[in-house]
Amino acid sequence: MIVDQIIAASLTLTTPILLAAMGGLVNRQGGIVNIALDAKMLAGAFVAVIVSSATDGWFIAVLAAAIAGALIGYLYSLVITRANANMIVAGLGLNVLVAGMIGFVLNWVYDSSGTLRLPDVQRLPKFLPEFMYDIPVVGLALSELEPLTVFAWITVLVLPFLLANTRIGLWIRATGNAPQVARAMGISGRNVQDFSTAFAGFFSGLGGAHLALASIGLFNEGLTAGRGFIALAAFYFGRDRPIATALVCLLFGFLDATQIRMQTAGLPPKLIGTIPYLMVLVALCIAGWRNHRRKAVSS
Amino acid sequence: MAETATIDRPQLSLWLEKGIGLAFPFLVALLVASLVLLLIGENPIDVFSLMFAESFGTQRRIAATLSAATPLLFTGIATAICFRSGVFNVGVEGALVIGGLCAAFIGFTLPAAMSVTLIPLAFGFAAIVSAIWLYIPGVLLARYEVDEVVSTLMLNFVAFGITGYLVNGPLLSEISGNNVTPLVHEAAQLRRLLPPSTLHAGFLVGVALVVIYGIWTRRTPSGFESALVGQSKRFSSAVGISIPTTIVLVMVLSGVISGMGGASHALGQLHRFADGFSPGYGFTGMAVALLGRNNALGIFLGAVLFGALASAGTTVQLFSDIPLDIVNIIEGTVMIFAVVELGRITLLRRRSGG
Repeated sequence: MIVDQIIAASLTLTTPILLAAMGGLVNRQGGIVNIALDAKMLAGAFVAVIVSSATDGWFIAVLAAAIAGALIGYLYSLVITRANANMIVAGLGLNVLVAGMIGFVLNWVYDSSGTLRLPDVQRLPKFLPEFMYDIPVVGLALSELEPLTVFAWITVLVLPFLLANTRIGLWIRATGNAPQVARAMGISGRNVQDFSTAFAGFFSGLGGAHLALASIGLFNEGLTAGRGFIALAAFYFGRDRPIATALVCLLFGFLDATQIRMQTAGLPPKLIGTIPYLMVLVALCIAGWRNHRRKAVSS
Repeated sequence: MAETATIDRPQLSLWLEKGIGLAFPFLVALLVASLVLLLIGENPIDVFSLMFAESFGTQRRIAATLSAATPLLFTGIATAICFRSGVFNVGVEGALVIGGLCAAFIGFTLPAAMSVTLIPLAFGFAAIVSAIWLYIPGVLLARYEVDEVVSTLMLNFVAFGITGYLVNGPLLSEISGNNVTPLVHEAAQLRRLLPPSTLHAGFLVGVALVVIYGIWTRRTPSGFESALVGQSKRFSSAVGISIPTTIVLVMVLSGVISGMGGASHALGQLHRFADGFSPGYGFTGMAVALLGRNNALGIFLGAVLFGALASAGTTVQLFSDIPLDIVNIIEGTVMIFAVVELGRITLLRRRSGG
């Protein structure tokens, strides 16, 4: 029984991080460390709730959230690629700006501070037939399965192929890893980077839509709770490889799901919450130490 | 003659560039804010003049502005000291929070009989712990080339987690409920300078640090060397400056200043440590450093400016029901356009050079 619940909760909590991380890793392969994933998730969640309430359709809401994320991502990219802005500072600034804009609209249009509760918000549908709910262990997870989670995991499986075997995948990797080669091949690095950042925004927007529409059906200013940064941690730890990153996301989702249970076991949730970040620090140290040793050996 | 003329001209244009550089991001931010205000049917000029009056109008409002600027003086310098050496330290926020907790811890655990000696002890302890906190990513960057942006960003979240755990667990105040430590002893509280306002002696410490920073950057060899490392690593190592040493030095100094900033905020403003200790002072400090171009005077002005925004924002929300979030909109835009401007300048240089 507890196992069922943990599996179901882990899967649900993984999806938003996973979506944002998939976008972010493509972006990083293209040479941009996207530190503003959180802003795009927040914007996605906000747009998703508004559109879902206005149109009564979850699909349109999800699409609108993704487009909003992509649009913000594209503007962010223009600032970096056309105006040579430092991507880290611009990204942190964007996080502040987007949070400010959303707070402003929330306050002015909806006259609320922090939470947006709208009527008739369509949540993501559970689409599997009911007889599958009785399958032991995974039944509960299946009963809560919605399209975005399925889409996220399909992306995980398809993305390695797209990155390795398609023209745009090659362009992205060339732009990020060997800019000179990309330039020699006649690829416009800026356009490719703009595309990859919009792509990251698109997926972060989806992640935000999932946060808002998967179960609660409302928007809150603290909804993302730094998940954009957890996603960043995930693709750093997964070294930009889709499948490895997805497994890391699953681990983070599992930690998130078990936090409350661990609290009853006497482990403070605040400390458990730092595990993803500590893991990245350790991973960075190991990678740095390896590089260091390799250099020492070669010289 | 011709030579003196060519020496003079770049000087002048450099000053002009600096002036525009300071004003440009802020003007863009005001423009964005004006657009937002026009959209909701408010007259931006009215709002801005109200904000100006609310931040500089009377002595009390000026005191409130300087009080809000105090933590930003610390975080601004702590950020600038790293940025000017090309070290992208975004971990000032975490170091400030850690420093605040350490100072509060000294302030309420040591016996009250120690009276005013508590204050230097608290500042010292906070500075040391925060320095160690940022020494870690500094060494990782200097020795193993571990990306400092990610490591310091991650350390921020670790700092929030650790302090959040401590104020909800071992250090939780028994009498005042949730998420706060006990109050520090009265002797450990920093003096209020203009009693009704919260402006406290930490402001003077901050100003002193700005002055020291200014002297350090302009008049000392290590200040000069660390700027050189930021300008060109290859040149610096060619003339015999140790880059790893410089990186570790600026990170440790940044930690010391962040820790003192935390101590000032804990002992002067809150008189304790609380969850949500800093509403992003470290990140605003980044905007301050960028706006001030890492220059001591610029940082002071930038901190006062953001302090004014923060103190005006709260009262403007009360008087004209314009959401406080307008302050975040301005801050975010300033951050983005502060770096855009850097890019524009390098473009101009390249064009004139080539």
